[in-house]
Amino acid sequence: MSRSVIDLDELMARVENDRDLMRDLMLIFKEEFPRHEEALREAVASQDASGVVGAAHTLKGMLSNMAAAEAAAAAACLEQLGRDGEITKLGEPLAQFEKIAEELTRQIDLCLAEVSA
Amino acid sequence: MKMLIADDELTSRRLLQRTLERAGYEVTAVENGRFAADELCKLDGPRLALLDWVMPELDGPGVCREVRKQKERSYVYMVLLTSREKKEDVVAGLGSGADDYLTKPFDPEELKARLRTGMRILDLEDRLIEAREQMRYQATHDPLTSLWNRGVIMEMLERELARSEREGKCTAILLGDLDHFKSINDTYGHLAGDEVLKEAARRLLSSVRSYDFVGRYGGEEILVALNNCDPAYAFLRAEDIRKTLAARPVDTLAGPIPITMSIGLLLSQQWGRQPIKNLLNEVDAALYAAKHAGRNCVKIASPKVGDPPARELTAEAVRRAR
Repeated sequence: MSRSVIDLDELMARVENDRDLMRDLMLIFKEEFPRHEEALREAVASQDASGVVGAAHTLKGMLSNMAAAEAAAAAACLEQLGRDGEITKLGEPLAQFEKIAEELTRQIDLCLAEVSA
Repeated sequence: MKMLIADDELTSRRLLQRTLERAGYEVTAVENGRFAADELCKLDGPRLALLDWVMPELDGPGVCREVRKQKERSYVYMVLLTSREKKEDVVAGLGSGADDYLTKPFDPEELKARLRTGMRILDLEDRLIEAREQMRYQATHDPLTSLWNRGVIMEMLERELARSEREGKCTAILLGDLDHFKSINDTYGHLAGDEVLKEAARRLLSSVRSYDFVGRYGGEEILVALNNCDPAYAFLRAEDIRKTLAARPVDTLAGPIPITMSIGLLLSQQWGRQPIKNLLNEVDAALYAAKHAGRNCVKIASPKVGDPPARELTAEAVRRAR
């Protein structure tokens, strides 16, 4: 069984037990996240430090709201590397971020199916 | 209470909006700093704002700086939302004019508590403004009649006379005095006298235009400035005012009391540049002449040497002027 990358108790507290709002946030996340993740990939590929900072910052905020602490920390790490201009050291952290993000997306899909049921 | 949320990230915006709407706020949500500054700089815009630090077009501190430049509108309480926690960031955020900051991801209870603090500050500001306005009103108005008080009406008249002279226009000065007012006080009592004064003030106000000035000059004397007044119609307007005053008795607790007013009238254009004191002496003399001529009439202050000091506006004169 895979470890949980989203803290549902924390998310429920954040939405004050409003299941409709939680579902809304998950749907928004599913729609918005791939776009920002793609922007991050492109910025890393083109070694655009400010692009990395901007995309990683947005992802960090979004992931924090979703109570996905591990993924938010990985985005924060990318943001900091971008700020420090360590543009050549982003490959490994990006791969790590993508791995967590993939698992997060899977778990959010499961949650959505559960909430919708 | 209206409030504004500015955040370019959609999950944050939705989460904040729903949380705050549930707490009873009327929320406007925008996605960049430019829109936020435009909303907050409107005179009737929201007075409470949650601003993300990093936003396109204009960042949160930039919004704060723009709003603080706007001096005409009421105070806006602004909270910055930030994931930056370094001391220098906090100092920079507060230095830009923000009142508070909140670290993302926010806790809903903490968020609402911080906004309640903002509401207390805004409420305090409202009460201070109300108190200042009350004091300003008391300092400029006569407490009984609510007309401008003597000091203010004199200042207004002086300004208006200067403007008339600059622009080649005419200000008509009317000095009215309630006839037999002492006798009203003696016969019906001072409370009834007060009621008469209040009603006379109300009738005077209703008979002039919104940009004319009416003030209590003395006990039962009232000064009226008819601004930008066509001299050809000044006599008629003074007559209309006199008739409005005397149209029907004033209903008081002591019973109905008939009232009339004697009026002195002066047209600034006929007198050229004169100290206000001289003009007031002249219009006072015209008022005296109206009293002397039997009261309840209008007399005009005439500047020409050799002319009769004041001319009674008889029914025939009114007819001719029409």
